[in-house]
Amino acid sequence: MKNLDSVFAAYMVGWGVFFLYQLTVSRRVASLRDEIEQLRISLKREK
Amino acid sequence: MALLQTTATLFNKELRTELRSRELITTTIVFIVLVVVLFSFTFDPTSTESRRFGPGLLWLAFLFAASLMLQPCFLREQLNDTLSAVRMASPDPFAIFLAKLAANTMFLLLTELLMLPVFAVLYNVPVWHVLPSLALVLFSGSLGICVAGTGVAAISAQARMRELLLPLLLLPLLSPVLIASTEATAALLAGQPVLRLDWVGFLAAFDLVFLTALWLFGEFLLEE
Amino acid sequence: MKKNLFALLVVLMLGWAAYASFFVAPTENTMGVIQRIFYLHMPSAIVAFCAFLVTFVANLLYVFRRQQRWDWLAVSAAEVGLAYITVVLITGPIWAHPVWGIWWTWDARLTSTFVLWLLYISYLLLRTLIEDPHRRALASAVYGIFAFLDVPLVHMSIRWWRTQHPQPVLMGGPGTGLDSRMKIVLLYSFIALLSLMIFLVRQRYELEAMRGQADVLRREAEAA
Repeated sequence: MKNLDSVFAAYMVGWGVFFLYQLTVSRRVASLRDEIEQLRISLKREK
Repeated sequence: MALLQTTATLFNKELRTELRSRELITTTIVFIVLVVVLFSFTFDPTSTESRRFGPGLLWLAFLFAASLMLQPCFLREQLNDTLSAVRMASPDPFAIFLAKLAANTMFLLLTELLMLPVFAVLYNVPVWHVLPSLALVLFSGSLGICVAGTGVAAISAQARMRELLLPLLLLPLLSPVLIASTEATAALLAGQPVLRLDWVGFLAAFDLVFLTALWLFGEFLLEE
Repeated sequence: MKKNLFALLVVLMLGWAAYASFFVAPTENTMGVIQRIFYLHMPSAIVAFCAFLVTFVANLLYVFRRQQRWDWLAVSAAEVGLAYITVVLITGPIWAHPVWGIWWTWDARLTSTFVLWLLYISYLLLRTLIEDPHRRALASAVYGIFAFLDVPLVHMSIRWWRTQHPQPVLMGGPGTGLDSRMKIVLLYSFIALLSLMIFLVRQRYELEAMRGQADVLRREAEAA
């Protein structure tokens, strides 16, 4: 069972990259959603 | 035929612009001399060592020099607002690329030919006996650099930080050219010089692929 | 709702693929347990290539149809493909170190993967440096096409170049005579990672579409 830690490390890093990527994308989506909401509200007010 | 005629006219224009100032060729030559001299500090430039590192160093110098030299070809038009005039004057936008490509390749080859004796003397690598074959390698490699480079210059001219962006976009695209021309040059400069037709053929294939791509997609880069 | 269900499905598939690659697949004879990285490493590489293929097709569609959604799809797939290539480049050395005794070797496949990574980094960098959405889409689409055309050339040149040098020692190359259980596990992993890719691209596409929407609203707000 030599090198098992390396295998674990590889899987952790691999999944970590995907997870972090997903996290950043969903964060950016959330902040954009807020911004769009606010823009809509301010546009409505001006009309 | 009309394509060739327009190309010739535009090519003339490129030549005249350059001949008036000669700034492009002079700066490029100074740059290459600088790289060649600076590189000599990084290893012991005896004849055997030079044969090992020389071809790679030479092509790296050409590659970096080209990525500087290709900057103005679209930037100048953009800064002077002459691109739309040029576009109106040429029925086929491919002629614009062809003219710039021809001019760039000519300038690059000229600087390379001027640099070759300097390199040969400084690094103790005899080049005279293989000059015709070397010219073939230089031509097919430089054409590859300029075909991809002219297209990428039209792309980077539209962006911010264009001066930095052009090498970043161009150099990864040109890694096959670097490998093929370095290997071909190394084979020519070796003790038993051989012309590696497989690498020259590879360079020709690269030139052809990117020339076709430029012909098909170049026009979209000139849209307003 | 549908999206969450899909996300759950992807997580389950990934978990099952990981379980299978640890407990279903037999231990490889020469390399031992370290070879299990293979089930993450190699499918990731194939999925990355699929993502870049999607980018290429979307680039072509954008150039000819000029619909924004193709631009959105292109950038989404390129970014996700880059994430996969990053995983390939990280897991590769972790695997290589115990087997070859070195983290990195300039072997043909490693080098071409690295160049691929650089090419798409440049593609994404270019996009951040052009403001106008239409111009950005068009210029980066043409660069994306250039980059994809370059991929086979890069691969071929590096292979020709490296096969003249000795292969790294202990290349007990997988892919030769795979056990049938190994093949099944490989297929599981591939499907799981492909589904994850589709999920990530959809998510990223949504983000890009919202960006377009936000741009329009911002311009309206400025005009008002």
